[in-house]
Amino acid sequence: MATSEATRSPSRLGAGLQDGVRELLGQLSNFWFGMSLLAIWGFLTLIGVIVDQGKDASFYETNYTPALARLVLRLHLDNIYHSPAYLGIVGFILACMTLATFWRVIPTRLPPLRAVKIDKIPLNASVTVRGDEATVRERVETFFAKRDWLVRKRELGGVEWTFADKHNWARRGVLVAHVGFVVIAIGTTLYWAFGYSGQTTVLAGSSVTIPESKAVFQLDRFRFRIDPIQTRSGIVYQPIDYVSDVHVTGKDGKARLAQIRVNHPLDIDGTSYYQASYGFAVPFTVTKDGVPLPNAPQTPLKEGEGFQLGDTTRAFQYAKFVGTIGPGNTIGADPRPNNPGVLLNVFDGNQNIGSVLVPLERGIDLGNGYRVDAGRYLLYSGIQYRHDPGIPFVGIGAFVLLAGLCISFYFLPARLYVRIDGADRAWTVGIAATTVKGYDIYEEQFAALVGELERAERPAVPRTLAAGAAT
Amino acid sequence: MSTDQVLIVIAISAYIMSTLALFTYFLSRDRLPKLIGIPFAFVGCAVQFVELVYRYQTSHIWPLTNLYGSLSLFSAMSVAIFIGFALKYDLWFIGGFVEALAASFLAYALTWNEGYLPAVPALQSYWIKIHVPLVVSSYAAFMVAAVTAFLYLIKYYGEKSLERRGFAATGLRTAAAGGPALGGGLQMQAYAESAMSQRMVGGDFPALASAAAAGDPLATWLSSLPSLAKLDITTYRIVSVGLPLLTVGIITGAWWAKEAWGAYWQWDPKETAALVSWTIYALYMHLHTRNSWRGLRTAWLSVLGFISIMFCYLGVNIWISGLHSYKM
Repeated sequence: MATSEATRSPSRLGAGLQDGVRELLGQLSNFWFGMSLLAIWGFLTLIGVIVDQGKDASFYETNYTPALARLVLRLHLDNIYHSPAYLGIVGFILACMTLATFWRVIPTRLPPLRAVKIDKIPLNASVTVRGDEATVRERVETFFAKRDWLVRKRELGGVEWTFADKHNWARRGVLVAHVGFVVIAIGTTLYWAFGYSGQTTVLAGSSVTIPESKAVFQLDRFRFRIDPIQTRSGIVYQPIDYVSDVHVTGKDGKARLAQIRVNHPLDIDGTSYYQASYGFAVPFTVTKDGVPLPNAPQTPLKEGEGFQLGDTTRAFQYAKFVGTIGPGNTIGADPRPNNPGVLLNVFDGNQNIGSVLVPLERGIDLGNGYRVDAGRYLLYSGIQYRHDPGIPFVGIGAFVLLAGLCISFYFLPARLYVRIDGADRAWTVGIAATTVKGYDIYEEQFAALVGELERAERPAVPRTLAAGAAT
Repeated sequence: MSTDQVLIVIAISAYIMSTLALFTYFLSRDRLPKLIGIPFAFVGCAVQFVELVYRYQTSHIWPLTNLYGSLSLFSAMSVAIFIGFALKYDLWFIGGFVEALAASFLAYALTWNEGYLPAVPALQSYWIKIHVPLVVSSYAAFMVAAVTAFLYLIKYYGEKSLERRGFAATGLRTAAAGGPALGGGLQMQAYAESAMSQRMVGGDFPALASAAAAGDPLATWLSSLPSLAKLDITTYRIVSVGLPLLTVGIITGAWWAKEAWGAYWQWDPKETAALVSWTIYALYMHLHTRNSWRGLRTAWLSVLGFISIMFCYLGVNIWISGLHSYKM
């Protein structure tokens, strides 16, 4: 007895464990569970759309209310798409989708051949045919086989059933689409694991080394073209072209001449380099009583950069390059450097106390003996780079996903359950149809098919309509 | 008035004529307004495509680089998709709605017409000839799907009101015993349509048949529309065209973004909004396989999807700044 208990306990434990696992898998693959995850994902994505992403803490402190800025920074909502919560929920959704595909969708999409109650299936019909049983069965099977139905026969419970399938292979379309998602996920994971990206700026005439790839870019020249176009509401200055002429040195150590243009990235040793932005760097000289200040900027500043005014609490930020200073010291509409200047934001402590327009190669007095001079501008090019070993997977995954969608949408897998009953030379062919997309969508085709069968079996007694079940 | 403006005026006029005729057909189901409306739909659509080609031929600037061009293609494609489905599934009764929307969007497009503006560097790519037409066509398909879903809702709530007014389920028995035949003469049995245990014939409420038999004018008119099941399937079929188009559009957009901006996905507001819209329609397709969701709920989802598409298309372009803010 004791031995028997001992042998049963592990098996009972195993069965309990199996039940638990089954229940867990059932829960994770549950439709509403998946929907809830999607709703959470949608909510997090919405936060990412509403809250500015990837900005400095000071940006939120300046532009948001203090409470909201604290909330954004404490909850890391400033970079939500790369947060563990976001990536976790995406991973969880993918895992649940995979589970649902294998645990729920495929078993129901690939139903076993089984006996059914034909009159309980909404799409059903019966056709009366004449002849001996063997001939009738053969005729019916040939009828479906000739119309590209895959015909299979089974004896179930002593009754001979004929099953006919169309587009049976397309039942796997959903699986294909989900596989596409998984391949895309592999591709993006490869990027997270082995890829890198970044952005750098390089002044005309100088060079920059990309830290990750060690490629060296020397910007020989940056060219841009902006054309004034007359539109119905006035002149628009339309950007036409941005080009960086560079000498680039890759892993082979040889410098070569290349161009980087928008939409025409440069590939060096598997890393792509893109023309991302450009700007006007301006050298500033800051003096007090004609003597240069030691903490004045030593290199030309780019837009957004700034400097402190000597020992004072005042600071200046190079806010914007102004291509054309118009009459009355106004900012002209033409962004091309005709009569250029810079717009400086003036800060006292952290307080923005206004802005000042400084013409290039001319200076302005700031009072108390301070003076700032803006020198001749120098063009710089913003280059973005990215090494993404997952790209082929993402591309393949996208096409697999698309193929899966097309299979699922444009092919309708249907199954016919055919049972022939009767005696002597009068037989009733009962036919029921099911599809993976319900019954309504197949109603007309089913009617046409049954009509064809009737015509093929002439002279047959008119079919009897499936009636009565409704009442 | 320049040639392209003349062509636009002709297109809008044709759409207005077609709208009036097909609305009359929708309400009366007389053949005459239908026969008048169809040629106008064809003419308006053809003239719009001619206008786009003419614009390209005269300026050598691809006409889809701004909101004017894309809205113009959007309205032309919505009418083209409508015509395609109408020819195949006899959907002319929805034409009044589709063409009213097409004419409205085209008129709105005119407010963004600033003349011929060359493309900014990011748009100077062969991808614009692939990505934009695909995405705009998907938006157009979703618009037509939203119209059929909207008609589903009109019919559903109309039938529901008949039921509330006390028309009993005698129609069920009538139909099952050989009433209006479905699908070329074959009768589909009544079956439990949803968890609401509302039994329907061909998707319609049983009360519809009895109310129509009693001579109720609303029921008579509703009976002239396709059954709820047919409207639902039509919406499904149109979404089945729109979703792959949107998917290919997003894929080609990602490909282009990789060439132009260095990353195939940057969570730009347009990308995010497109993904949200894609998710809504993917959800639609998933939920449509479930009996309890097919019909009313998926019709609402289709309408919601189109609202999301409109936000993605116009809302993001006009109100939110990002990489896709191409208005002019």
